[in-house]
Amino acid sequence: MSDVVASHLGLEHFFEKNSHFTDKKWLCDFRAQQFKQFLQRGFPSRKEEAFKYTEIKNTALPAQSGLARPWQHSEKTAGIKKITPVILTFINGHFSAVLSETASLSREITLCPLSQAHEERVKSYLTREVDATRFPFAKLNAALMTDGLFLEIPKHVKVTTPIYLLFINTQQNHYMTCPRNIIVAHESSQVTVIEEHVGETAQHYFTNVVTEIHARANAHVDYYKLQDEDFTAIHVANVRVEQQQDSCVKTYFLSHGAQLAREDLTIFQRAQGTESYLHGLYSLSQDQQHIDHHIHVDHFAAHGTSAMLYKGILAKKSRAVFNGKVYVHPTAQQINAHQANHNLLLSADAEINTKPELEIYADDVKCTHGATVGQLDNEALFYLRSRGLSAREAHNILTLAFAEEIYSKIDDNSIRHYMRKRMGSHDQF
Amino acid sequence: MLNIKNLHASIQDEKQKTKQILRGVNLTVKPGEVHAIMGPNGSGKSTFANVLAGREEYKTEGEATLDGQDLFSLEPEQRATLGLFLAFQYPVEIPGVNNMYFLKAAVNSLRKQRNLPLIDAMDFLTLIKTKMKEVGMDEKFLSRAVNEGFSGGEKKRNEVLQMLMLEPRLAILDETDSGLDVDALQAVAKGVNSLRNKERSFIVVTHYQRLLNYIVPDVVHVMVHGRIIKSGGKELALDIEEKGYAWLEKEAEA
Repeated sequence: MSDVVASHLGLEHFFEKNSHFTDKKWLCDFRAQQFKQFLQRGFPSRKEEAFKYTEIKNTALPAQSGLARPWQHSEKTAGIKKITPVILTFINGHFSAVLSETASLSREITLCPLSQAHEERVKSYLTREVDATRFPFAKLNAALMTDGLFLEIPKHVKVTTPIYLLFINTQQNHYMTCPRNIIVAHESSQVTVIEEHVGETAQHYFTNVVTEIHARANAHVDYYKLQDEDFTAIHVANVRVEQQQDSCVKTYFLSHGAQLAREDLTIFQRAQGTESYLHGLYSLSQDQQHIDHHIHVDHFAAHGTSAMLYKGILAKKSRAVFNGKVYVHPTAQQINAHQANHNLLLSADAEINTKPELEIYADDVKCTHGATVGQLDNEALFYLRSRGLSAREAHNILTLAFAEEIYSKIDDNSIRHYMRKRMGSHDQF
Repeated sequence: MLNIKNLHASIQDEKQKTKQILRGVNLTVKPGEVHAIMGPNGSGKSTFANVLAGREEYKTEGEATLDGQDLFSLEPEQRATLGLFLAFQYPVEIPGVNNMYFLKAAVNSLRKQRNLPLIDAMDFLTLIKTKMKEVGMDEKFLSRAVNEGFSGGEKKRNEVLQMLMLEPRLAILDETDSGLDVDALQAVAKGVNSLRNKERSFIVVTHYQRLLNYIVPDVVHVMVHGRIIKSGGKELALDIEEKGYAWLEKEAEA
């Protein structure tokens, strides 16, 4: 108990110290209220179904904020240039103007750090109520967030270059960042956003990010999230997608970093004819590495489509949790919903807890779900080796082949190549 | 070249019972020779082929050497490096692995282990297109995943294509003719015959005499109950075609 108090005291101290936005009373008040609500709710316990397999203890939160540091692109991130010239960079949570480049973007598009966004444009998004029971860390983010992306695409505008959002963690240990990103794609607009979190010479830090995507009527949004945190870091992400009529959102969650990662993706199909295609690839290579995906799709309206395809590769003593839930409300007839989670266990000590769920309250729907867990195919291994490939090469080729299904769903060539490389996969094609 | 003495092989079944499959096979194949192994279903022909290629689930006893090297002390890829090639009876489908990528990786892996310079992408493409024509395979199969969705005949042609690319010293064809129509059979035979020379040997495992009209063997062996019970010239295959295996089994028992 004293531990909890001590840690909460630390958190309160953290909150006091990080009194940003002092010129915006409405925001200060809102943050204080959110913080109080988080403390009332407390850290999730393993008795809660949504946190049954993943415990993020209050003691895990470093009560120190990130410090701005100099940084330059290494070989790792150099490939971003091939994808797009438009990039917003944050270092240990702080916006870096030097490492950001937005000049080539059409002026009608709003792209800026949240801290520089026009107050009236972001107020309604920033003061949105968060369900503390389901999303405790999004609640904490609402209280502690400092900066992030604000992107607004006007009606009928097609953004041709992807927008890169880079969160660097570097040259600091034991600190916490709470980035907040807001993406608004107005009617019939189109945009691709890539959000990357990477750790380089930083350890034991805690990322608690919230990204919200608003896809208005007929808008098309492609969203990529690459999680390449340091193997000692904790990464908690809440991505929330609001979809209006006939909008189409594709998401790609590619993860192989962090010691402990929790990735929540929540889709609200608010109006009819919406489509959501959700992809995930997680590859764990370290002992005690842990990743938990919780995906929730709410079908509120008719003629919606949602398809979930997540694949995992687990080596050593790593562990993954997958919970994909599709909820079809009585108002949502003629729904097509599919979900699949396939896992490849490369060691006898790796573990996966997978649970695809369907909850259907409409009677005219088409829903499927499935999960598989398997090892590399011995027949295929022997076949490759009999042709002269070493056991190791054969093993690698088959592991890559398993992941390839996800890469093949990435339409953009340069993004696909970059993701393969960053996930440690070679280019086969 | 290949010397096999008193080869035994067994496998554990689902009930953990040991099932004896090969019961003392003796065989010598000299450079340049083509040997056919015929026999009824379940006689051990495929096991024989797989054991030589290095399939792990069998327990073996006896001796098998290729060019003086003990095969049983080598991994499957080391046997391939020595020049052993098995054309599989049922080639496995490998989704997600591009056929051309696989072939190039295999060719270069062998070249690397033999200390030969690696083949570059352009030379490889030219070479493989020529070989594909030889076995009558459409170029579209290069961009497909290995054997995925291939028909039975296409899979067998793909095996022969690999053999042409890898140019083994000893090729074992495990019922490569089964299920093939005449056109495919001729393409397979053409591929094998184009590789025949004084240095290279073949073991052709088959159920049907038909293949041997196209690939004329030097020696024909009959395998029954895990043993070679009779060996002879190519006319032995014709006898079998006419009279079946029963007379040989009786002869062996007598």
